[in-house]
Amino acid sequence: MPRIGFLVAIAVIAAACASPPAGTAAAPFQGMVVDPPQPKPDFVLTDTTGRRFDFRADTDGRLTLLYFGYTYCPDICPVQLAQIAAVLDQLPDVRRNTTVVFVTVDPERDTPEVIRSFLDKFDTDFIGLTGTASQIAAAQQAAGLPVATKIGDGPDYTMGHSGQVLAYTPGGLMYTEYPFGTRQTQWASDLPKLLER
Amino acid sequence: MNLWCASTDQPWTWQWIAYPGVWLTVLIPVVAYLRAVARSQEPTDRRTRLAFLAGMAVFWIASDWPVGTLGAGYLAWVHMSQYVLYVLVAAPLLLRGIPDWMAARILDRLRLRGVARKLGHNLLISGLVFNLVLVVTHAPFTVDALRSTQLGSFAMDMTWLISGLVLWLPIVGPLLEHRSRSVPARMVYLFAAAGVVAILPASFLTFAKFPLYSTYELAPRIGAITAIEDQQLAGVMMKLGMVPVVWGTLAVMFFRWMGSERAGVS
Repeated sequence: MPRIGFLVAIAVIAAACASPPAGTAAAPFQGMVVDPPQPKPDFVLTDTTGRRFDFRADTDGRLTLLYFGYTYCPDICPVQLAQIAAVLDQLPDVRRNTTVVFVTVDPERDTPEVIRSFLDKFDTDFIGLTGTASQIAAAQQAAGLPVATKIGDGPDYTMGHSGQVLAYTPGGLMYTEYPFGTRQTQWASDLPKLLER
Repeated sequence: MNLWCASTDQPWTWQWIAYPGVWLTVLIPVVAYLRAVARSQEPTDRRTRLAFLAGMAVFWIASDWPVGTLGAGYLAWVHMSQYVLYVLVAAPLLLRGIPDWMAARILDRLRLRGVARKLGHNLLISGLVFNLVLVVTHAPFTVDALRSTQLGSFAMDMTWLISGLVLWLPIVGPLLEHRSRSVPARMVYLFAAAGVVAILPASFLTFAKFPLYSTYELAPRIGAITAIEDQQLAGVMMKLGMVPVVWGTLAVMFFRWMGSERAGVS
């Protein structure tokens, strides 16, 4: 009898190990799935060359990764951008059809030159956008994100901001978003699939 | 309170961090050793004492800020350097620095004399234990799970040091009864145990397309080194870090053996 119990226990453990956790088996993406998919936001800001950048129109038909951050960010922003740059380096076909857009949430310190110099450390093709505080707040709201807030006083203040990267497919919809902690393998798995949507 | 280095989401700064747990782990054995040597009527020569103190110094450098902090949470290549320091530098120095009477007393008190004798003579078991620890403690799951807590990180560092002691016991064990008698067998053992198997995990690190350890992949970056470059460097460190010590030891063993053979013949 104890032997049967032991065998049943082994079978239960084996079954538990064999079946993937609920919600992951059928999920086509490794990022956080957005259900229902959200449309690409409509906002206009200024890029680092001083030109007007219409987010929806200027990224039309391309896989677009949108990230709101700031160049003085001590932790999340550099890692997120480095992760994207590293994965795109490994996926040249995806890279050709992808636009990465970084919008500063700290226009006070992030001048176009500062943004450009910051982004060039990761990828010279990354697009940097800035605008007035109200324009940037409106862009965040249009993307469905909370507006970033200033934390602390003095020159070393930080910004409390959402850390996820929003991914818009060439079809103009966001099926997934990628919080801080997304691994390069997860990005590499999802980006080619998103490109086909 | 920081007792032992563990990974953190804080950006790296060169601001010193105190790790009292590391200090105690170094100080307690050093004080106990020096007291035992001073009180004992058995002689302990200067070279032996220096070897022990140098081993503890290397252990301290590898565990404390900045090496310990960088290795635990920021850079995979520093993490790998720690491994090399524990296993290939600290462990043989410590074994070389423990006089035979002290080793006998410690092992008897811990009831490990029989185990040590088996490990010292059965080179296959020593090699397997060492390489099992090497493979398990470099698996991404293990590194990510253990490096995230101080206790886990401490356990990993101690496991490395102990695996180093196991590796070197048949070669520089303090008790003659622990050392394998055949010099060629010891040379083959050292080459196979420390020089061959490590190539496998090192190759995974060097040639992987994406970073394997989330600890180092998602760590705040230091300088211009990317996560994948850091990992490749760690692989190189694992492969080449062992070369000077292993090959240096093999050379010394070979020439000493040749010398003793010649002396025996003449």
